[in-house]
Amino acid sequence: MTNLLWLQGGACSGNTMSFLNAEEPTACDLIADFGINILWHPSLGLELGTNLQNMLWDCISGKIPLDILVFEGSVINAPNGTGEWNRFADRPMKDWLNDLSKVANFVVAVGDCATWGGIPAMSPNPSESQGLQFLKRQEGGFLGKDFHSLSGLPVINIPGCPAHPDWITQILVAIATGRISDISLDELHRPETFFKSFTQTGCTRNVHFAYKASTAEFGQRKGCLFYDLGCRGPMTHSSCNRILWNRVSSKTRAGMPCIGCTEPEFPFHDLKPGTVFKTQTVMGVPKELPTGVNKKDYALLTMVAKDSIPAWAEEDFFTV
Amino acid sequence: MTIKTLDISPVGRVEGDLDVRVEIDDGQVVNAWTHAELFRGFEVILRGKDPQAGLIVTPRVCGICGASHLTSAAWALDTAWGTEVPRNAILARNLGQIVETIQSIPRYFYGLFAIDLTNKKYQNSRFYEEACRRFAAFTGKSYEIGITISSKPVEIYALFGGQWPHSSYMVPGGVMCAPTLTDVTRAWSILEYFRTNWLEPVWLGCSLERYEQIKTYDDFMAWLDENPNHANSDLGFYWRMGLEIGLDKYGVGVGKYVTWGYLPHEDRYQKPTIEGRNAATIMKSGVYDSFTDTHVLMDQSFTRENTIRSWYDEGTADVHPFDRTTKPSQKNTKDFDNAYSWSSAVSHAQFGRLEAGPLARQLVAGGEHGESWQHQDGFILDAFKQMGGANIHIRQLARVHEIVKLYRQAEHCLREFKLNDLWYIKPQEKDGRGWGATEASRGALCHWVDIEGGKIKNYQIMAPSTWNIGPRDGEGIKGPIEEALVGTPIFDPTDPVEVGHVARSFDSCLVCTVHAHDAKTGEELARFRTA
Repeated sequence: MTNLLWLQGGACSGNTMSFLNAEEPTACDLIADFGINILWHPSLGLELGTNLQNMLWDCISGKIPLDILVFEGSVINAPNGTGEWNRFADRPMKDWLNDLSKVANFVVAVGDCATWGGIPAMSPNPSESQGLQFLKRQEGGFLGKDFHSLSGLPVINIPGCPAHPDWITQILVAIATGRISDISLDELHRPETFFKSFTQTGCTRNVHFAYKASTAEFGQRKGCLFYDLGCRGPMTHSSCNRILWNRVSSKTRAGMPCIGCTEPEFPFHDLKPGTVFKTQTVMGVPKELPTGVNKKDYALLTMVAKDSIPAWAEEDFFTV
Repeated sequence: MTIKTLDISPVGRVEGDLDVRVEIDDGQVVNAWTHAELFRGFEVILRGKDPQAGLIVTPRVCGICGASHLTSAAWALDTAWGTEVPRNAILARNLGQIVETIQSIPRYFYGLFAIDLTNKKYQNSRFYEEACRRFAAFTGKSYEIGITISSKPVEIYALFGGQWPHSSYMVPGGVMCAPTLTDVTRAWSILEYFRTNWLEPVWLGCSLERYEQIKTYDDFMAWLDENPNHANSDLGFYWRMGLEIGLDKYGVGVGKYVTWGYLPHEDRYQKPTIEGRNAATIMKSGVYDSFTDTHVLMDQSFTRENTIRSWYDEGTADVHPFDRTTKPSQKNTKDFDNAYSWSSAVSHAQFGRLEAGPLARQLVAGGEHGESWQHQDGFILDAFKQMGGANIHIRQLARVHEIVKLYRQAEHCLREFKLNDLWYIKPQEKDGRGWGATEASRGALCHWVDIEGGKIKNYQIMAPSTWNIGPRDGEGIKGPIEEALVGTPIFDPTDPVEVGHVARSFDSCLVCTVHAHDAKTGEELARFRTA
């Protein structure tokens, strides 16, 4: 049996809802087939009040072994570092987190708020939110740069707003089945298996990207969303177009620009006026180019692409 | 008898952090206080941002009702910018709202509510063993199928919006998608799968058509007895067990109800305005006062907030959300004689404290008010009268009763799409005030937006749980859940499952109860507050 405790700080439950959409395995299969024992979860746990408080203290004292601590939501420090704005089970949540992280074999941060601070940490960050081991791209966060759980691993970061259910369940299963040592983490502690490729990898609009055929406005059946509508697919690390969402689609396939939600800077540009669903350009050239491509080469590519664009790439493509 | 005070922290299985204090005398709750214990500060984050920032930020207020927030945010911008929204886009937005709520019904019922029926308190009930077989967390037969099937409806959301939760596919002027034959066909097939694998065989024990014949409480009880499949369906089983264990005996509340109405009709709201909304929604808005048995339309101008018992220093008067000045107290110390919650007390200028939620929606659906073409359904109103008012059990019944009508509305959307017509009309961005509303699965939700100089000057959200979970108001009147807790029998003070029943019957969502101020200086940052 692998004991798992799931707690929420400054959370919206989006990751919980996403997790409940999991299919292979389902949330119920995790328990029945992989021996994960969910000690408690805010939306699913049976206990309330004192009974829950006692369980938490038993985890801290070691009476109940804590194999996996999953945290969803930001760590709230307001006001003035006290954490009183997020009280849970009669004390600031950050105090529970501090105690429980010391006794957990693995600590998993699920979703942007727990990984980087997410939307609550967006300027001006009224709740003094942090992620578990990062604030945006800056290492440290609530638990500190040098934190390692008892297993020797740092916090395993599964970002996304929300995280994809398969990213969550597959990491939990890897831990429960003793396979986690096969998994490599990148410099942001993300499992590379999900976060090395780009959101664009597998996007149905790739061919339009290549020929620089743009989707000029919403509700269209052609083109790529990168050139006008601010899509971040080429510079965002995720597997959204390889491991589809809700088994059927992805934002970019459905015509919504990727907003880069697996990266620490999300929401990008702090959503300043003029930055939402609009590509930021200088002299008509996108300010941010696909990862690894320089301006000169981009200009060259553009010329060649424009020269060689076939007529069909300018027409409705995903037709009825 | 001495009065015993019981502090429950957390209640759990509500969205967010809800703590409850109750006073118990002779095994019954005689007084109660609900307090919201989390604060993130969404509207301060939105202030000064791009007008469309709400489309990205507000779904993240609540991951359970993301589509409902997105719906409100989009319509708020539509009214502010004076857009034209094509018929297809209205249908596509409605479909997103509908499938999110359909998803929520089994997920809420099995995941959050029914597992308490396996509590040892009920071990002497003749239904107990079967309840454990069906509803035990993670392993119960119905629990497993219900939780798993709940992910199907939102696959439809993903076909139109890319993913659920947290897409932003609804935008002022329409939607981002332009679905094809594939999307519509698959969506239809997913609906059918949901119907034939859970809704009819497991939940109802009959066809949708048979269920739709139920118009009164007597019809419902006759349906229950008509066929063992009805009595032994999860709905039939739940109803019978609930009556036996007395879920119909407590959890009354304030006896007055509110809904904004929702699902704008595809032919009646293409030029959306705040004033024009009441006459354009398929499900009508309204306030139902059970003391006088009257229905009237609801209007946002009647909304009032009071913060005398909340962690704000804003005087004692009731104010319209537009007129709030946010001056939070620096210290959020619990003081049950004074301030004890982040939630404000919301009321209606004429009717006072109101309950929001599916029960409210269905009581309003039974009224004769509104437009003749709008949806009307008298079943829950009749059951309410037959049962002598509100209780936990009827609150659940209302919540699950909506699934069939929403299923029909989803079919309607899929039937009405004209794939070669427009999905989006590019709007002209401009300054102005907007208001958008909907009904989240758990009740009335609305957003106010004020755009000035091309950016958000103020953004405000009023969520269903703000109506329900609020503390006492300026007149000392309890909020709906506080009121509903009074009279609750407590069998075992070390495991007050009954408090859980009452709180969860409102399907509370604490995370939508968000307030904002700058912690460092305590200075006012937003003229209106969300929630």
